Amino acid sequence: MIKKPEHGRNTAERAKFRLRVKLLLTGITLCLIAFPASSAWSYKRIAVLYPAVSPILIELGARDMIVGTTRSDHAVKNTVKVGSHLRPNIELLNALAPDLIIAGSQRAFPEEMKQRVKADIFYYNPVTLDEILVKIRKIGGMLGKRERAEKLILRLKKRLADIRPLPTEPTVIYEVMAEPLRVAGEKSIVTSIVRAAGGRNIVKIDRKHAVISTEKVLQLRPDFYIYQVGPMNKKPVPPGERPFYKSLKAKFIKVDELEFARPGINAFDAAVHLNRIFRGERP
Amino acid sequence: MRFILAAALALAFIAAISAGAVKIDLLSMSEMERNILFDVRLPRVLLAGLVGAALALSGVLFQYVMKNPLADSFTTGVSASSAMGAVTAIMLGLMPYLPLFALAGGIAGLYLVYRIASYRGRIQPITMLLAGIVLSTFASATISFMKFLSDDAVSSIIFWLMGGFQAATPLKDLILFAVICVSFLSVRGDYLRLDILCFDDTTASSTGVDVNRLRKKLFFAAALLTSFSVGYAGIIGFVGLIIPHILRLGNLVKASYLLPASLAGGAAFMMATDLIARTILQGGQELPVGVITSSIGGVFFLYLLIKRRKELFYFN
Repeated sequence: MIKKPEHGRNTAERAKFRLRVKLLLTGITLCLIAFPASSAWSYKRIAVLYPAVSPILIELGARDMIVGTTRSDHAVKNTVKVGSHLRPNIELLNALAPDLIIAGSQRAFPEEMKQRVKADIFYYNPVTLDEILVKIRKIGGMLGKRERAEKLILRLKKRLADIRPLPTEPTVIYEVMAEPLRVAGEKSIVTSIVRAAGGRNIVKIDRKHAVISTEKVLQLRPDFYIYQVGPMNKKPVPPGERPFYKSLKAKFIKVDELEFARPGINAFDAAVHLNRIFRGERP
Repeated sequence: MRFILAAALALAFIAAISAGAVKIDLLSMSEMERNILFDVRLPRVLLAGLVGAALALSGVLFQYVMKNPLADSFTTGVSASSAMGAVTAIMLGLMPYLPLFALAGGIAGLYLVYRIASYRGRIQPITMLLAGIVLSTFASATISFMKFLSDDAVSSIIFWLMGGFQAATPLKDLILFAVICVSFLSVRGDYLRLDILCFDDTTASSTGVDVNRLRKKLFFAAALLTSFSVGYAGIIGFVGLIIPHILRLGNLVKASYLLPASLAGGAAFMMATDLIARTILQGGQELPVGVITSSIGGVFFLYLLIKRRKELFYFN
């Protein structure tokens, strides 16, 4: 006798709840219709603190969104230079009022710096060619340039199709700096470039760069000794002329640091370039 | 003590030659092992020994010049000005000429300190020490500025400054050996004068010692040794301080014992520290040798301070 009215009340409450859910769902659907994905909010003012990113933004058609770059970024002219990638000027950054800052790593742009700017931070730190594509897709999504990002990814994948298979897998040591000898380790983009080109980086050290002994180089006996020339290795003595390498039978190859050591669009061209070198073709 | 030093030198040399990133069986070597031993390891061990000897000798000489047991190539500013020259070479992309730049920087620093510290042809040790500290500070600031400007090259400067012997060649060994011989032989006949120089200038002059001329000679010899060492191996700290201190603790106080012993002690110490630097990590990785020498030097001085706390307290 007492339970019946309660049951009736429960049924009425359930009906009310159902109505509310229906109204909510209808509201969400109307909102989605009124504000389609194409006009979704995206970043409009970007400060680029990692030079390898600028060419990607240009390819995505976001050149005009770049409001600030570092002084070593030569891909974008006529923007405010906000210092170096390791020491950006926070005042300048804030004055530019970016809504997105693209930095190289947490170490280059730590938490305490994040708290001093009113912008979202995106860390661009890929260590493989695949990760570069993933980052391009993410950046495309953030800037409302998904379609162009997919096109760029497709183009870069096609670029890798120029790589031809090799009869044997050549072994490689990549010199980052001559004195003291620093070479690319497993966490360097170079390792991925070498792998994509059909070779193998024989330095098995779980770091981006490592200072290693020249004895180790002789012991590893690489087929190719690639040495970069650029800001980190300005005009080094060619390895073939170094007395301690006189017994090294490797082929010494000079490459441009900006082409090989920066994890950007250039890395795909570098892989094709390297594959040609491995095949004995003139790059 | 002589026997201990000779044994330490021999032991350090044998250990440094026997061990490294690659294991070498010295009794039956393959061709590759022979190449590693003669092209890489031997020139490196010799350079380490020679740089150690040069830095220790320059430390002793600077201590005689300044009449201060804490003087070395750092306090006189020669190290920092050599490093400034070397960093300029790195920044300009003139790596093959780096030793020349280091030498030029060292000599320029030496000349500056000498000019500031000399009055009416006489060198004032205290002024020299202060001028050295000022020069050192200025050179360090300039290096920091160059690091700031270099951006991408900053890591190459930092790593070079930490010191190392990777770029050792027989030619470098030969040149440094010649520099040490010239510097050592130039002061070899002055043992007695050096001992007398430990007294005050008036006493030394009254015994017939040309204090000013002797100081100039010692200063130039020490600066030459430092500049070449920095040019070939970067900044390696504390060697010029701890080796003479250890030797004095072993009662080698007279110049006739202290100078040759510094050469041997410095060489043994540096060969041993370089051995640690190139074998402590796995996979052929290396630590900068300056990190090891500074760590050992720091611990040693801390030990001296704690040990002598009581004496210093009562002295005060």
